[in-house]
Amino acid sequence: MIKKIKISFSEKILLTFIILLGIFSFSFFFIVKNKCLFVENVDPEKIKFINRQNIAIMNVECGNVIIELNPKLSPNAVKRFKYLIQNGSYNRSAFYKVIEGTLLQAGDLEFGNIENINYYKVGSGKSGLGTLKSELNEIFKFDEGSVAFARNDEFNTEDSEFFITLKKIPLYAGEYTPIGKVIYGLDALKKIKVGNKVQYVLRPDFINYFKLLE
Amino acid sequence: MRLLLILLLTLQLNSIKADEIFNLLKIPNLDVYKLNNSNGLKYLSAKKDFSIGYKNNIRCNKANKKNLDDKFNLIEKNLSIYEKDFLNKINLRFIVLCENLHISEINTAGIPDHKKRTLILDINFNERYFERVIHHEVFHIIHGSFEDIFDEKIWKNFNDKTFEYAECSTCSDRLGLDLYNKTNGFLTEYSKSIASEDMAEVYSFLITNKIKIKNIANKDSILFDKIEFIKNGIRKIKNIKL
Repeated sequence: MIKKIKISFSEKILLTFIILLGIFSFSFFFIVKNKCLFVENVDPEKIKFINRQNIAIMNVECGNVIIELNPKLSPNAVKRFKYLIQNGSYNRSAFYKVIEGTLLQAGDLEFGNIENINYYKVGSGKSGLGTLKSELNEIFKFDEGSVAFARNDEFNTEDSEFFITLKKIPLYAGEYTPIGKVIYGLDALKKIKVGNKVQYVLRPDFINYFKLLE
Repeated sequence: MRLLLILLLTLQLNSIKADEIFNLLKIPNLDVYKLNNSNGLKYLSAKKDFSIGYKNNIRCNKANKKNLDDKFNLIEKNLSIYEKDFLNKINLRFIVLCENLHISEINTAGIPDHKKRTLILDINFNERYFERVIHHEVFHIIHGSFEDIFDEKIWKNFNDKTFEYAECSTCSDRLGLDLYNKTNGFLTEYSKSIASEDMAEVYSFLITNKIKIKNIANKDSILFDKIEFIKNGIRKIKNIKL
């Protein structure tokens, strides 16, 4: 007759530990894979806006980013920005320049669309609408979520590219043409892919779509 | 080939840690030193050594904190004489402070770039000339922004017809910065290098030692014309409405 061997107490603890470790590893794998898991997606329909005509919704991988445009500060820049949004020009535009925890840039319509991104030329593309005169002021404070038109080294070269700051950057006051501020969804922007130490991102994240609320 | 180029680009950029200042000025390793100045100048300092320019021919070392703190008041005092409106017109906004500034292995006091509205200053430059050199470099910013006002052809005509400047400021051995006892149309040896350096020398003496220069000009007709030319040019810029 075979004697039944009883599992000792220490063996029970070890078995429980191994099972728990397995469950933890399995769930952790899926949690890590889903970078948007803890990002709350904002539904613009559930928010009451005062100036609905100046609200823009940018949809990225982790949800909606809601931007309040400021046409009083930069009328021409906001007019251009709205035009490009309404035309769908920013849809599928890559965040090709991302400085971790600092800023992210998109809007190269010529070389920065995710469907045919050109890594050699991205950042030098044009919209075909011509450049804008810089609308600078020192009233606009560049803090977390500030949206502004990018330019090259010289003023009056704004076109379609824009950047969003992820932290306070007082140095930028009076240097870039402000467009508006992110009022909801900054967490979704913080999940945008960054480069490894470099500011230019290979296989970058992109804007799914960009639209005006009205 | 495409992959190789991307890899090379990545490796090249890897050495530079991009931040918000680099994004704006394309100069790496800078920190904000002082931002809120009444004339709008923004002072930045090198937190690490940096190299920029064609083949990294411009390099400068980290600014030691104590050294910078010791010299900053002097720098600020000299640059505070310029009003915000004037600085906007001449395109000067950022002052980068670092140590042992070199261009193509030649030590230099400053490197002006009116297009980027930036002046890089070597805080270790010879103390004897340092204050005057600040204004000398400011003039290069002015000249870069208003080449039509400070026309070198007109300037060269002030000199004796037999005199010729060198081909460039660094390809001449005329480097002395001491004021001549006998001027003969030139304030220093460096004035004789090229026309723009001559203008910058006259301007810097006008700012730092106006009375002495006026006395010299009363006995030197060439210098008298040069001084009037610079003064008229500055007056024109001040009268420009933005």
